[in-house]
Amino acid sequence: MGEKTIVALGTPPGESAIAVVRLSGGEAVAIADRMMDGAKSWESHQTHKRIIKDHNGEAVDDVIAVVMRGPNSYTGEDIVEISCHGSMHIVSAVIEEAMWLGAVVAPPGEFTKRAFLNGKIDLAQAEAVADLISSETKLQRSVALKHLTGGLSKRVRKIEEKLLTQLSLVEISIDFSTEEIETYSNGELTEASRWIRKELEELIGSKVAGRKLRNGIKITLSGPRNAGKSSIYNMLLGEERAIVSHIPGTTRDILRERIHINGFTYYLEDTAGIAEAESEIEAKGISVGIEAAAAADMVLFVIDGSVEPGERVYELAERLNIKRKMIVINKKDLGLKVGRKEVQKITGADSVIEVSALTSEGFDELRKWIYSNTVSLEIGKIVKEKIAINLRQAVALKRTMEALGRMEEGVSAGQPAEILSIELREAAAACGEITGRSISDDLLGNIFSKFCVGK
Amino acid sequence: MDNTAFKKNKYDILVVGGGHAGCEAALVASRMGFSVLVITMTINDIAGMPCNPAIGGLAKGQLVREIDALGGEMGRVIDETGIQFKMLNKSKGPAVWSPRAQADKKTYHERMLKALREQRGLDIVEAEATGIIVESGRVVSVEINGGEKISAERVILALGTFPNGLMHIGEKKIPGGRRGEPPARGLTNQLASMGFEKRRLKTGTPPRLKKETVDFSKCEPQPGDHNPSPFSFRTTGIDREQILCYVTHTNKFVHELITRNIDRAPIYSGQIEGTGPRYCPSIEDKVVRFSEKERHQLFLEPEGLESEEIYVNGLATSLPVDIQEEMIKHIRGLEDASIVKYGYAIEYDFFPPHQIYSSLESKRVKGLYFAGQVNGTSGYEEAAAQGIMAGINASLALRGESPLILRRNQAYIGVLIDDLVTKDIDEPYRMFTSRAEYRLLLRQDNADERLLKYAVRYGLLPKEQWKEGIKRRKRVIRAGIRLSGETITKDICNKALKEVGGKEVGEAKRAGDLLSRPEVELSMLEKYLPDGPLKLSGREKRSLEIRAKYSGYIKRQGKMAERFIKMDMMKIPQNFSYMDIGALSMEAREKMEKFKPETLGQASRLAGVRAADLSIIMVMLEKGRKEKRG
Ligand SMILES: Cc1cc2nc3c(=O)[nH]c(=O)nc-3n(C[C@H](O)[C@H](O)[C@H](O)COP(=O)(O)OP(=O)(O)OC[C@H]3O[C@@H](n4cnc5c(N)ncnc54)[C@H](O)[C@@H]3O)c2cc1C
Ligand SMILES: Nc1nc2c(ncn2[C@@H]2O[C@H](COP(=O)(O)OP(=O)(O)OP(=O)(O)O)[C@@H](O)[C@H]2O)c(=O)[nH]1
Ligand SMILES: [Mg+2]
Repeated sequence: MGEKTIVALGTPPGESAIAVVRLSGGEAVAIADRMMDGAKSWESHQTHKRIIKDHNGEAVDDVIAVVMRGPNSYTGEDIVEISCHGSMHIVSAVIEEAMWLGAVVAPPGEFTKRAFLNGKIDLAQAEAVADLISSETKLQRSVALKHLTGGLSKRVRKIEEKLLTQLSLVEISIDFSTEEIETYSNGELTEASRWIRKELEELIGSKVAGRKLRNGIKITLSGPRNAGKSSIYNMLLGEERAIVSHIPGTTRDILRERIHINGFTYYLEDTAGIAEAESEIEAKGISVGIEAAAAADMVLFVIDGSVEPGERVYELAERLNIKRKMIVINKKDLGLKVGRKEVQKITGADSVIEVSALTSEGFDELRKWIYSNTVSLEIGKIVKEKIAINLRQAVALKRTMEALGRMEEGVSAGQPAEILSIELREAAAACGEITGRSISDDLLGNIFSKFCVGK
Repeated sequence: MDNTAFKKNKYDILVVGGGHAGCEAALVASRMGFSVLVITMTINDIAGMPCNPAIGGLAKGQLVREIDALGGEMGRVIDETGIQFKMLNKSKGPAVWSPRAQADKKTYHERMLKALREQRGLDIVEAEATGIIVESGRVVSVEINGGEKISAERVILALGTFPNGLMHIGEKKIPGGRRGEPPARGLTNQLASMGFEKRRLKTGTPPRLKKETVDFSKCEPQPGDHNPSPFSFRTTGIDREQILCYVTHTNKFVHELITRNIDRAPIYSGQIEGTGPRYCPSIEDKVVRFSEKERHQLFLEPEGLESEEIYVNGLATSLPVDIQEEMIKHIRGLEDASIVKYGYAIEYDFFPPHQIYSSLESKRVKGLYFAGQVNGTSGYEEAAAQGIMAGINASLALRGESPLILRRNQAYIGVLIDDLVTKDIDEPYRMFTSRAEYRLLLRQDNADERLLKYAVRYGLLPKEQWKEGIKRRKRVIRAGIRLSGETITKDICNKALKEVGGKEVGEAKRAGDLLSRPEVELSMLEKYLPDGPLKLSGREKRSLEIRAKYSGYIKRQGKMAERFIKMDMMKIPQNFSYMDIGALSMEAREKMEKFKPETLGQASRLAGVRAADLSIIMVMLEKGRKEKRG
């Protein structure tokens, strides 16, 4: 159909061992080919072990790729499925690379839409496809809006204003050249462009922090066995994910899930309860748990308050030497044998809270604590003061930068207004992909309202 | 000649209105072989210019070139009757050059009337159209002067500013279509009662001065071009003495005078309800909104060679006559000038163009077309452009052929009409080059390359014109190939570059590469070509130069356009029901119900319609198609 080749994460977002990135469209195989340097054959419906390199030649990941040639594929177009390691860092690097090579991030529902248009989906499903597009759009928009609150939106809007002003001045020189009125000057145009590009560099630079935010801030649940860690994990998740039982030592491997609190993404870990090791497997799980806690951004140390905690519990609590630590006294519903003040006194911890994973008492306070600690984290600060941008936004801003770079070259080569305007419009259009505003629609309105034109 | 008689009571096509839209519509339709009757209230104002005595200008000049390439009349008439010619934006790149000419209003009218009179199969009647007769959804005849009916297959309404026209001068209100002419009431009100939506707009015009009372020695003269370039590619040359225009300015005193009396200006007193064009503000508007400006430029333009009237471009106003007198007295050069005609504002009805297809046929009544100011535009050229398209499309319909829809990458005319059918028009619409996203493709120099083929296909222009064009293009391409193969030594390059103040080069260059630099002109470069000068006409040289300078950008715009064209090819049936598609956003549903876009491309240009909405429509369209196929 000659549509653009699209790329998207195929597996549900969240840390899993393996993630699948999917490309679909006429260029899918060509793009995959260039990502996986040295690939020779792409037999359809076969697995191929490859290494993905980024455009700087750095290896990103070992992957397994499968090509499904159209029309015998889900969308009816050529599809490449790339199974890479599940870290969000790797996934976004793979997607980013595909975008560098010309793929675009799939708009909401796009795979299904193409499947439908290519006759791969039953007619009766048309409404369902339409609904899918609509609901995915709503979801994306609400996420995008969150990203655009505060710092980022303010800064991007300012960039947009500058672009609009310069573009207006350039257009005035063309459409209102017979009037006595100021138009653009090469000096000011270049200056504005440089300012914008510097600003953009900073915005794109903060992508590192952005990635951390997208992947999640790590919170580890730690504490003695049977304290209710898995119960709290489930409660924060809002669903029964971890197995809960009265048998101490139920949890053996680390479980990880993503949760959202006040717009932040967290990456919550349930670990094996700490005790004298009994079996070898357990011992391993426990040491992994302790390591995990040490690498976390925050730790929730859970103790069972319905029984008198022993020496060892307190000792463990203190041993976890991490800045953002909260001691969670659980099972309040059973009546507490030990209270907040006492625990505070013994452990010297700043934050102690009483909750019940059974009745959900105290969880609002717990979430508030998590949020306020996030804001004092380094990345939290970046979010509050600066901004964080996602991949799609970064690509759009890069295009803005590139267009402005070309425009500056044009200025120094003495190109006329109608050429400079092309680059400015492209810069504005790319920027508009983030804000949803179309500068070229506002252009004449802006000229008429701000400049005295017309006879 | 008896202006009230017409030869038959049945025509193929009726054109109501003898303005710029009506004239082009009538001429093109009869040239396509149909019998046409023009019904107009005053034959004396055929192709009249109620406002400034000029044709063309920025973006408008391109429109005239396009009308001409389609076989229209405007370009030839202004070439024959223009009294000063200028190519605007000469200091910019050739993509945005625009021809403009001062018109002799009287001879322009006479020359256009002559074209109508001499056209076989075209009659004119001086009468007011007072109603249309519709039978089972299709227009069948037009009623004139409240009585007689004339039948026709197709009817084009080009009513201009006449529908319920109301003129304002200060506190005074005078019903009329323009100065000295009555308004048209019956027809518009009947259309409204049939369910057509109408709204109100406003425009204005400056006072005219008596030529001999103006002291031009105090003003700065503005000559035309030495070598005027004609509007029409059928005009071989313009060899005529050109008049001068003059520039003067308003001043602080005038601004204070206006500010003091602002409550007497109808636009500020609330007397006017219609919206005026922001790009064409009255002097009172400019003074109020841009109070920091100390003076505004005024152009003094003769209304014709013999005319006694001077048009004061830049001084549109509806202030009361005593203020107008006072204003004039205090402007340099006009101290003793007497006003022959006062400036005024006019309010009129228009029919918001979401009610027409891009063929200009109305959605509500089959066979009825709207063209010109009635669609909410302003300007002679915008009107003429729609007129010729309405004439072509009414004729094509009678031939049983599909309408000619020019795309946005093909012509300013395409941009104009596409904007009309996809945008909410809330001020008079005027063309600007910045409205065209593919500006580099839509140049005044290549209008014939873009559009001549249609004129030839419809029999409006002889085939030879087209063949000539192809030959010209081939010569240009060949010369381009020659330049890209010809190497110029480093020393000669630098000698040439020094001549134009360009940056030096460090090695020999191909001639083609040098030409692509903005500062290098072909006329200069030719001197240094090792194989001698090019054997091309002046026009071909310019064309070669443009190709060399813009080639990369032209390709880029071409590519961009291709992507959009695909969407413009995807038709949406008119009975497509948006309200039933729950997945569409509410805003999109309402917009699409109102505009009923004909293609996915049009839908994409409606404000408030997002990419997801388009995806959803694509899915539902496909469903409809497949169901039909069974
Ligand atoms: C005061 C004034 C100021 C203007 N200022 C500007 C300006 O600053 N810039 C600009 O670009 N444009 C301006 N214009 C607009 C410009 O004149 C028009 O855009 C252009 O002339 C429109 O052409 P048209 O063919 O649509 O209509 P017109 O040229 O208005 O012609 C309409 C024709 O229809 C006839 N007619 C109307 N109703 C009937 C009927 N019921 N029966 C029979 N005949 C009928 C009339 O007699 C007339 O011949 C101004 C117009 C006026 C009146
Ligand atoms: N009454 C009450 N019981 C609870 C509460 N939280 C957990 N329990 C119970 O305590 C037991 C242990 O809970 P888990 O969530 O499995 O504890 P854990 O800390 O994950 O245990 P391990 O994985 O074995 O280390 C289960 O029987 C739970 O039902 C609570 O707030 N109130
Ligand atoms: Mg557990």
